[in-house]
Amino acid sequence: MMTETRRSRLRPLAAVLTAALLTTGCGGPAPSGDGDDGKVSGTVRLLTPIFEGADGKTVLEKQLADFKSKHPDVAVEVDYTTYAKLNEKLTTSIAGGRPYDVMLMGVGWIPPFAAKGALAELDENKQDLTKRYNERVVQPGIYQDKVYGLPIMLDTRFGIYRKDIFAQAGITAPPSNFTELREMARKLTVRDGSGKLTRAGVDILSNDLRQTFLPLMWANGGELFTPDGKPAFNSPQAVGALQLMTDIIRTDKSEDFGFTQPGATSLPLAQGRAAMMVGHNNHLLAIEEQAPELVKEDKIGFFMINNERPAMFQGGTLATVSAKSQHPAAAKALVRFLTDEQASLAANEQRGNVPALNGLADSDYVKSNKAAQFAMENLDAAFSEGGVPAWLEIRGDFKAAIEAALLGQKTPQQALDELAAKAQAAIAKG
Amino acid sequence: MTTTLESVSVASANRAPRPPRRRRLGADRRRAAYLMLAPSVIHLVWWIGLPVVATFGLAFTHYDVIAGTIQWAGLDNFREIFADDIWNRSIWHTIIFTFFTVPVAMAIAVFIAVLLNQQIRARAWYRAAFFMPHITATVAIALVWMWMFEPTLGLFNLLLDRVGVNGPAWLSDPDWAMPAVILVSIWKGIGLKMLIYLAALQNIPHDLYEAADLDGASGLRRFFAITLPLLKPATFFVFIVSMIDAFQVFDQVYVLTPDGGPANSTTVMTYEIYRTAFSEFNISVACAQSLVLFAFLLVLTVIGRRLTGKDADEA
Amino acid sequence: MKPRLAPRLALHLMLGGGALVMVVPFFWMILTSLKSRADIAAYPPNLLPDEWVWSNYQAALDYAPFGTYFRNSLFIAIGHTVINLMLATMAGYALARVPFRGRTVVFMAVLAMMMIPTYTKIVPQYLIAKGMPFFGGNDYLGRGGYGWLDSWWVLIVPGALTPFAIFLFRQFYLSLPRELEEAARIDGMGEFGIFARVMTPLVKPAIATVALVTFEGSWNNFLWPLLVTTRDDLRVIQVGLAAFQLAERTEWSYLMAGSTLATVPMIVLFLFAQRYFVQGFATAGIK
Repeated sequence: MMTETRRSRLRPLAAVLTAALLTTGCGGPAPSGDGDDGKVSGTVRLLTPIFEGADGKTVLEKQLADFKSKHPDVAVEVDYTTYAKLNEKLTTSIAGGRPYDVMLMGVGWIPPFAAKGALAELDENKQDLTKRYNERVVQPGIYQDKVYGLPIMLDTRFGIYRKDIFAQAGITAPPSNFTELREMARKLTVRDGSGKLTRAGVDILSNDLRQTFLPLMWANGGELFTPDGKPAFNSPQAVGALQLMTDIIRTDKSEDFGFTQPGATSLPLAQGRAAMMVGHNNHLLAIEEQAPELVKEDKIGFFMINNERPAMFQGGTLATVSAKSQHPAAAKALVRFLTDEQASLAANEQRGNVPALNGLADSDYVKSNKAAQFAMENLDAAFSEGGVPAWLEIRGDFKAAIEAALLGQKTPQQALDELAAKAQAAIAKG
Repeated sequence: MTTTLESVSVASANRAPRPPRRRRLGADRRRAAYLMLAPSVIHLVWWIGLPVVATFGLAFTHYDVIAGTIQWAGLDNFREIFADDIWNRSIWHTIIFTFFTVPVAMAIAVFIAVLLNQQIRARAWYRAAFFMPHITATVAIALVWMWMFEPTLGLFNLLLDRVGVNGPAWLSDPDWAMPAVILVSIWKGIGLKMLIYLAALQNIPHDLYEAADLDGASGLRRFFAITLPLLKPATFFVFIVSMIDAFQVFDQVYVLTPDGGPANSTTVMTYEIYRTAFSEFNISVACAQSLVLFAFLLVLTVIGRRLTGKDADEA
Repeated sequence: MKPRLAPRLALHLMLGGGALVMVVPFFWMILTSLKSRADIAAYPPNLLPDEWVWSNYQAALDYAPFGTYFRNSLFIAIGHTVINLMLATMAGYALARVPFRGRTVVFMAVLAMMMIPTYTKIVPQYLIAKGMPFFGGNDYLGRGGYGWLDSWWVLIVPGALTPFAIFLFRQFYLSLPRELEEAARIDGMGEFGIFARVMTPLVKPAIATVALVTFEGSWNNFLWPLLVTTRDDLRVIQVGLAAFQLAERTEWSYLMAGSTLATVPMIVLFLFAQRYFVQGFATAGIK
């Protein structure tokens, strides 16, 4: 009976595996004409993790109507998704040989996708782009000196503090180095009689841990990778940054591990349960929703994280064109349109994010959003993560390593050394 | 009652020489059975069988989904995953999770099912209450739990605070995160198991209990002597299905403790598979991990069949 | 059997307590759905809403085209339930009641189908859907077009049959007494007749269970409908609810309002279906 089972299982296995893989290989699109006569035409499919919800859809459709009037021969089909499911959409569409013509994706995606030939080079060069964008903003879209992505919006992380709480404690300016940060945090921390934390001096847990650690590391003079693409995030500067986080939690007890977490229902800073935090520009919107009077009465201030140099974490959404697009000209026209002033301003306004184009610094929206304004003024000190094709494999391990240090399971040096060794293995594997 | 189960197996085991007419009947029956099975077999082979076979194949390749390249890899992927301490920990976490969720939830479920099988007022509403965790989309209700577990603002610690206990940080505490996830999973899993037991209880003939009543058997004795043995096919079903579910738990773990939980204390096998496939775009390694999961489940199913006895599931 | 008063009271206490524990998260969900954003963030937290914001429900419904999503989900769930009941009863019966060579192998294969996680199967399943021959511009080898993607076919067919249902029906047919089919056979009834008219009416509780579970699973399905469609008019209710969770923040009150609304049809369905779990009628035919 056993042999019968095995034989009957093996035969279909072989046949079916061949069939399954054939589908993958041959499922590619049949070639079709793309009018190369100057005028762009064709149906362009767009995958977007932004423009969520009915509001987002309204905004994008209004913009696309404009695009249609400029390029009457191009039809745009939009597939709305969210960042949470973007990778699944990208994987299946690329595996199926039917990638989207225009894909909006995050900063870390560009090097792996470009290195594997999934993205088309855009007809742009860095020199021209730096006239319209800050150089720091352009960099994440470039891989090996070729431009693959243009930014639509930026997500930035920096220091946010409560002016009123600072004033009460007699502190006049936000911290300008790590020593001040620790001192102020200690001073601003409040515990009740039983020792329960009622106000954290500094909240380093509301923001994604990796994206809290990295700006601290950059501010301390550290780098993520060496110029030749080797892990550098276990340098003394990087270890110093993780040491700072560990000191805040374990030595100073300016915040307890578990006090809050990313995605918690409410933001400690908005509730007066934290005096300052490492946060996202979008947290201003959250504060406005949760405690509108704080924004109205100008009680929220921002500061660059600073020690050796000022630093700000910069992520963002970039527009790219698939290498397999059948209508590359039309797709590139759409990328240009979406990253242009009008459309990108609308996108940023809808999401409360930071525009990438220098020209938008004077827009009414940026002037009305203090966080966006602060971010745009400090783009010279913006740093991006990623840069190596293996980044998507590496980045997921940061959180556990940082937590191990914060929980005292490992020293910052140990945690980062192990992380670097693992990253090195991932890079070497290719 | 014993006739119901055993007569079936006895009759089919007794394949003594049959008169010609009976043999033709057997052939007719088989033909009918093949016809009735055919649509399901075709559907399953096409939509699940092929993907499963692809999983087996891809596990032995380096398939780069973004670049579209594929190479033979032999056992490389398996060597890689077993060298990964996070994966090995996730196996251990999955086993702990299954150990605590499956038997506990099954015991509670059979107990409640028996209670809810009585003729009592508001029975429908009680049943609905116990089944509600199962019918709500996991993501939304797991978010509610996440909130209830919040260290300072959550319901649990507010209540504990009232009685003077300083509650743990639950989902942010490496020691408490897994127990919290297990608690939610038991809560979520009771409904379906209860429903299946409830359905199975309907198949127990009434007169058996009446006979037992005449004998003066106590409720507890009645349960162990009559009800439980007759629930064997259902128990086998619930055990297998719960175990498969527990080994593949993902949604509530992912929502309650994103990214593997504090210091990877709640990372389970399916989460690792998800992360490998869709954060790292490494489909082949995810397939290798899935085969390990598959192997575990296969072994446990065979054990489950042995434990519940062949009679229960073999006609 | 109707228990006497004292045990009955104890029973109610026990069940009531248990039921309460089960529904606490739902109360929390409903209360949250009626709070303003500032109220949710209040510190110390309030149990009841400061002011009852019923407009959250309207706002949640306006957030996405929920009318279309609701219709699509309903259509898919009904399709899945009907097909699953038809195919899985037949398969379960054949596996339980008819001895044939290789039956154990088929049965174990059905179980094995459940043992590979969704996330692993989903890419091959997508490729199969895309490669359906003769559909969506595909040739006979499934090349050139996009197959079943973006169609009702792909939303309904792949998920329509579950190994779970086959397995459950098999277990239930297994426990039916043999005398019934023998009697019917002597009356000259064919195998299909025995299946449809004698045996299947006796597994009504199993039918109710599978119907409920299939409907609910399909109603709450999210990943597959999202992956295989690109058009908004083919999307389902869970995709709409997912939009309340933005990358940086969650629209708590809307999400809770939307989830409450999405749960209501399931509760109604359950209260309707649970009538079939009534002691006694399954045995009626035996005597």
